[in-house]
Amino acid sequence: MSSNCTSAAPVSASKTKTKKKHFIGQKVKLFRASEPILSILMWGVNHTINELSNVPVPVMLMPDDFKAYSKIKVDNHLFNKENLPSRFKFKEYCPMVFRNLRERFCIDDQDYQNSLTRSAPLNSDSQGRFGNRFLSSYDHRFVIKTVSSEDIAEMHNILKKYHQFIVECHGNTLLPQFLGMYRLTVDGVETYMVVTRNVFSHRLTVHRKYDLKGSTVSREASDKEKAKELPTFKDNDFLNEGQKLPIGDDNKKYFLEKLKHDVEFLATLKIMDYSLLVGIHDVERAEQEEMDVEGVGEEEEYENDGMGGGVLTGSFGTPPDSPGNPLNCGGFFGPGEFDPSVDVYAIKSQDGVVKKEVYFMAIIDILTHYDAKKKAAHAAKTVKHGAGAEISTVNPEQYSKRFYEFMSNILS
Amino acid sequence: RRSVRRRGAAVLAKTKTKKKHFVAQKVKLFRASDPLLSVLMWGVNHSINELSHVQIPIMLMPDDFKAYSKIKVDNHLFNKENMPSHFKFKEYCPLVFRNLRERFGIDDQDFLNSLTRSAPLNSDAQGRSGARFHTSYDKRYVIKIISSEDVAEMHNILKKYHQFIVECHGNTLLPQFLGIYRLTVDGDETYMIVTRNVFSHRLSVYKKYDLKGSTVAREASEKEKAKELPTYKDNDFINDGQKICIDGENKKMFLEKLRKDVEFLAQLKLMDYSLLVGIHDVERAEQEDVESEDNEPEDEGESDGGGIGTPPDSPSNTLDSTKPLSPGEFDPAIDVYAIKSNDSAPRKEVYFMAVIDILQHYDAKKKAAHAAKTVKHGAGAEISTVNPEQYSKRFYDFITTILS
Repeated sequence: MSSNCTSAAPVSASKTKTKKKHFIGQKVKLFRASEPILSILMWGVNHTINELSNVPVPVMLMPDDFKAYSKIKVDNHLFNKENLPSRFKFKEYCPMVFRNLRERFCIDDQDYQNSLTRSAPLNSDSQGRFGNRFLSSYDHRFVIKTVSSEDIAEMHNILKKYHQFIVECHGNTLLPQFLGMYRLTVDGVETYMVVTRNVFSHRLTVHRKYDLKGSTVSREASDKEKAKELPTFKDNDFLNEGQKLPIGDDNKKYFLEKLKHDVEFLATLKIMDYSLLVGIHDVERAEQEEMDVEGVGEEEEYENDGMGGGVLTGSFGTPPDSPGNPLNCGGFFGPGEFDPSVDVYAIKSQDGVVKKEVYFMAIIDILTHYDAKKKAAHAAKTVKHGAGAEISTVNPEQYSKRFYEFMSNILS
Repeated sequence: RRSVRRRGAAVLAKTKTKKKHFVAQKVKLFRASDPLLSVLMWGVNHSINELSHVQIPIMLMPDDFKAYSKIKVDNHLFNKENMPSHFKFKEYCPLVFRNLRERFGIDDQDFLNSLTRSAPLNSDAQGRSGARFHTSYDKRYVIKIISSEDVAEMHNILKKYHQFIVECHGNTLLPQFLGIYRLTVDGDETYMIVTRNVFSHRLSVYKKYDLKGSTVAREASEKEKAKELPTYKDNDFINDGQKICIDGENKKMFLEKLRKDVEFLAQLKLMDYSLLVGIHDVERAEQEDVESEDNEPEDEGESDGGGIGTPPDSPSNTLDSTKPLSPGEFDPAIDVYAIKSNDSAPRKEVYFMAVIDILQHYDAKKKAAHAAKTVKHGAGAEISTVNPEQYSKRFYDFITTILS
């Protein structure tokens, strides 16, 4: 499989480009990162995947696996201080379950480990609810989201049914692909993280992004948001701009089948307030950007938005995909081309459209439970769940129907 | 092609393992008869892996001699099959021991493999105070359970020990200290030290001596003599008329090393150490091989320890000799203490000789002696009325004599 790092080069983010860097594949993983919490994340994922490699894969998961956890506490003294804090804790929830999920989502544990450990995860300025932090793995294949302990509790509540759902649909779903759940403790502060597959491409840039719920109350990007490099637009913006998603009948049918199945599942679990995340890659624009950058011939490393860029940026010498990583694009991808086994949510615009695009669409933010919301609503007069979320007066069933209707209307 | 003798030639010389069908264990289960051994395997695996992510420094710093790494595992409904759910593992001075391993010509991956591919084996060899011994499954390393006082003493001498090893380029008869760990299982702490095996990982030893150069009560007890491989002592050696027949060149080199070593020990005021002597009888070993092959059943005879499917040395283990060795032959890079008998020796033999038990400090002894009327440090150690300087001289003289 051809693998030189330049196969990544032609695919650039809107602003940057990595020339072939001389980088010796990092055999020694130093877990070097700009902040301790990231080093611990790298160390922790490295450790847990190694541990799992010494635990035989069971024939099937047991009920206990859904209650299990592994916990490790490190206390070093005058040792290994260069890149890691001396004291920290790392907990992995339900390791066997997530190993099984990764398998069902066709993610090899070694690749998963490499993506998260060869180089530090990158900050993304995308925001989740409550301004929760987003990171992406250095290779943009995975998204790491900081969540609350309530989210962890909710994950545990739904995990068995979620797993069962994944088994039944053979991993073929628009729901978030949950790949790992961790708790990191450093300096007495606990941080919870969930790793999911990136909705966007690890290579093709996203030029426009929408977060759609199918509701119309206050569903508009604020001016502050619009000032960002890649703002998160919303339902009203989508409608007002006359945005279209021309994916063709077959793709639409297939997509909506999955969507229907998914939202019905969410409704049975009484989950709501989720969104459809939509990213649009403009093929021509990307080609133009390529040429612009090549013309300039700069060696600068720009921070891209972390979610949609294909470039391997990072201040510490980001390793190019090494020959050993089977996730590398085996061949050269033409403009607007992608490997559907890696960019699993990618859908091309149909033939014949003027503007050639690639769309990335999937469901995100599925951890808000209706009962938790109602409790909070009773507790406070107005309930605000992060910027832009309104007090929903619907129930999960209604939410799912309204959501589905909206999405089927915007696809063509 | 791999000589069956390699596995069968065990220290205890009674058993033999035929080549087993063993698929190289990619998955390391750390399965062992005792949770403590599982934790040891897990711990060494973890420690060497951690070290592989720490850059090798150009030189050791003072802090490295005070450092430790500690890890506490608390699993819940996970990985319960071979590991305890709760345990702790501490490694003392990881960078120092990594450096020492390097100076002793031991690759970290090989070290790791020896200690983790299969569980360490019990040895009925006894250390001071009946301390427990294990060997790595491939018998390259010895794992000894020691006291916290021993660990403290190691810390006291570590810098000077390291310096000594640097200066002699690892060429010494002193114990090759390769790692020190503290394991905690069920609230109990166990200290372990790993050293290179004095004896061969292949050639069996049929007779063993622990020599100090003193003559008071230096005789194996009846109980000891009843064992499979008794540890004989100074008086036994003399009474048996035992000879160590090595040629002039070997003798010179050996005594040069020994002199430097015991001078070093005297400087550090260490004493009560022994010269461990093991004798491999080539003809006798060949005979045993023949007998074993004749009696051949396919059952998994308990070899001197490998009850759990001992993996054959895998191709990737750089320590493997690639060609089969003939009787009495050895790879001096692995069996570093081996010395062949000279041509005029009555029997063709291989001798393994090195210094052991160096952690007894004179001041600690005196303190204990003041505290109690009689001081007994384990079976066979007498109240020494000498000081470290005298001890080293007496020791050296005795060994010189027996080599003539």
